[in-house]
Amino acid sequence: MTKKRLGLITAVSLAVALMLVFAAAGCGESDNGTAQPEEPKLSGTLNLSGSTTVLPLAQEAADMFMDENPSVTVNVQGGGSSVGISNVAESVVDIGNASRGLKDEEKSLGLVDHEIALDVIVVIVHSDVPLEGLTADQVFDIFTGKVTNWKDVGGPDQAINVVVRDEASGTREMFDEKALRKEAPMAGAIECNSNGIVRQTVSSTPFSVGYISLGYLDSSVKALKYDGVEGSKVTAVDKSYPLSRYLHMFTRGEATGLAGAFLDLVLSDGFQNDVVSQEYIPMTEI
Amino acid sequence: MQGVIDREWIVRKTLFTLAMMTVLGIILIIFFVAREAIPAFTGAGPANLFSATWNPKSGQYGMLIFLTGTLATTVGGLLLGTPLAIGSALFLTQMAPRRVRSIATRGVELLAGVPSIVLGWLGFTIMVPWIRSATGSTGTGLLAASIILAIMVLPTITAIAKDALEAVPESHKQAALAMGATRWQMIRRVLLPAAKPGLLVAVILGMGRAIGETMAVALVIGPATAFPTSLTTPTHTMTTKILIEMGESTGLQRSSLFAMGLVLLLMAMLLILLVRLVTHRKEVVR
Amino acid sequence: MTTDLESEVKTQETQPRVDLAGDVCEIRDERIEGIIQANITRSERRAQLLDRTATATVWTLALIGLGILAFIIFVILYRGIAAALAPGFVFGKPQAMKEGGGIWPMVVSSFYLALLTIAIVVPLGVGAAVYMTEFAKEGRITRLVRFGADSLSTVPSVVFGIFGMVLFVIYFGLGYSLLAGALTLALLNMPTVMRTTEEATLAVPRSYREAAMGLGANRWETAKKIVLPSAMPGITTGIVLTMGRIVGESAAVIYTVGIFVRKAPTSPLQPAAPMAAHIWHTYTEGALVSDWMRVANGEAAFLLLVVLALNLAARMIARTYRKRLGMVN
Repeated sequence: MTKKRLGLITAVSLAVALMLVFAAAGCGESDNGTAQPEEPKLSGTLNLSGSTTVLPLAQEAADMFMDENPSVTVNVQGGGSSVGISNVAESVVDIGNASRGLKDEEKSLGLVDHEIALDVIVVIVHSDVPLEGLTADQVFDIFTGKVTNWKDVGGPDQAINVVVRDEASGTREMFDEKALRKEAPMAGAIECNSNGIVRQTVSSTPFSVGYISLGYLDSSVKALKYDGVEGSKVTAVDKSYPLSRYLHMFTRGEATGLAGAFLDLVLSDGFQNDVVSQEYIPMTEI
Repeated sequence: MQGVIDREWIVRKTLFTLAMMTVLGIILIIFFVAREAIPAFTGAGPANLFSATWNPKSGQYGMLIFLTGTLATTVGGLLLGTPLAIGSALFLTQMAPRRVRSIATRGVELLAGVPSIVLGWLGFTIMVPWIRSATGSTGTGLLAASIILAIMVLPTITAIAKDALEAVPESHKQAALAMGATRWQMIRRVLLPAAKPGLLVAVILGMGRAIGETMAVALVIGPATAFPTSLTTPTHTMTTKILIEMGESTGLQRSSLFAMGLVLLLMAMLLILLVRLVTHRKEVVR
Repeated sequence: MTTDLESEVKTQETQPRVDLAGDVCEIRDERIEGIIQANITRSERRAQLLDRTATATVWTLALIGLGILAFIIFVILYRGIAAALAPGFVFGKPQAMKEGGGIWPMVVSSFYLALLTIAIVVPLGVGAAVYMTEFAKEGRITRLVRFGADSLSTVPSVVFGIFGMVLFVIYFGLGYSLLAGALTLALLNMPTVMRTTEEATLAVPRSYREAAMGLGANRWETAKKIVLPSAMPGITTGIVLTMGRIVGESAAVIYTVGIFVRKAPTSPLQPAAPMAAHIWHTYTEGALVSDWMRVANGEAAFLLLVVLALNLAARMIARTYRKRLGMVN
């Protein structure tokens, strides 16, 4: 036996061992899909990824879907809206979740948009701010840094602490586009990673202002009227309140098979009215 | 006999391959991070990438804010952490009674094991509110991040500094004491100078830890895409920017996040070279 | 004189407040006269004062360090232990839309990920270490390997995360999965396993090897039958400590494994949500439920308990082994 041949054998056996590992892992996967062969209906694996905002909804739907179809495995992962969109475009997953619409460069990917919920954004302030509402212009001025003192918008003589979402946020994307007329918020605004942190920051920082999803609103902060309109399900549905955005699920081409069945469940009256309505405006009411 | 030699040859080559995985690993990391970063260098250009403005909407991907945040928090963490760590190492090697020494050594190891997300959570829920009420600011920013980093580098620096101090021959110390030096004179004139290269290595590796720390900093840094104007204004570091925005960015924005990753990689390798320069220690692994 | 001093040094080590410098000076004072004597005494006094101040400072610094550790452990456990030990929390199903969620799938994810990573990193790290200590001659190759290991150990974990995302999740098509995370973390932890193994094998006396070689064993037989078994306590301790690091890792996991699941993973190709990554998710998205602080506090406390337990286990394993082998180390 020459050393060269031995080297080859080593390499081949290593490769075989590696493949075995992968195959074993793969078997475990398909075992899940075919665990109960007597189930006549759907089987297989459905993969979702994307927005961490949509994640809780998608997980909830996945649970219900797997309860109804025991031989289906649904894997839901986060990653972010952009990850979800690029994953579904590259067929890495079956459904890509996003808390924003498609960007221009994403519109040519052949994705089909399924709107699954409406999210209303409200402007909130610390409870020591004695205002009940702000006009659209005032909100624009405050968040872009043109107004820095509450007295300029009818409040007390106190500096304004502006709290916004981080740039990765779909909420921020919507707010910048609609309330800030596509301008960026003032430099030095506090960026928070989530609705919860915005709420906490505003509730603990005197004379601060921020914005959150309606679902996160509680008594620790005060919601302001926007241009005289209170942000609510009613005003968002009748379109008198402009600050809202849809949550999306994207499929590559029309949704068929497992993905189609899953989206049917997500858009069903039951799921929309029982689950989606807990935090968002269900599509059934729009 | 031939078979025996061949088996040893196979084993030797296999083990050699495993050892080379460290080299292959670092090459793979550099290659794949660089591959994703290249569009930023060709598309946006180095002048754009290293500018002071980060505003993806207008095509500006400057990383200077994040670089500043990383350097400032690292320096802050080291300023606070190094005296504590060197003091602890001196205590452990020169002054602690035997029983205290073994308990304290274990404590240092335990501190190294505290997950950074747990430390960050503690910083976010306890320390930030303290700083907030003490200074009237948001409580997040360089100060909070530096304190957290000081805690994170403490076990790293202490452990390596302890090794360095223990490596000083007992005879040197005894000679100093025999000449009538007090313990502190011995420490200052003999021990510390003799251990200096090792102590420097300790600080450099602590610096590496501080530059790379992500989670603990992400919860207390703010964040805000703005240069820090004081110790308690929210800002960003390179690691936190990558962490928060990776999932929600596409195209050049995503690519410039990878460019930041590449800069971090190069900084890490530069520190290793620096360590080699300071000392001829063959191995500096934590 | 020398022997006296040696014993003095030893006493000093165990009883830090005994100041031997004074004694030495007194002996010397008898031999020196007049003004010189006075001058020396003055500078001696200053030196002694400085010595006491320095001693106090070092004690204070060390106590601050230990105080911080005690504070961290106390506060994390104090705030989270009630939630962590409440029935239905550790074994409970996580909730994203309503209160009362538990963390069972995250607990499973953490341990699954740790075991999978260990299964990959131990052959890598131990093999590499055996090569370095038993086979390789110091030279260009060993320097290269060490440089690789040093570099890997200083690369920020978030960079490991985005690298793992590009290579394993996307390029290899593994998706967000335990396997993608385990491969990433194996690379991240390889230097640690390698170093602890090297330390353990280097501690095995040279005479053991010489004896084995003398009996006709080749290097591999010597390594397998003599060196590795004797180094086992050190290697095992290193592995258990590495498990602690894996369980606590979050930045490298978020973009390779996942942040939230509602069912415990059953295959390495499934996404999962290790506890450390899930705390981050709770911080960023968890506030949809009003008890998110309870979840995060409880999970942080439980995670810390797991890490402390692994630390303790590592120590106990080392001690038991050492006793059984009768090794002095």
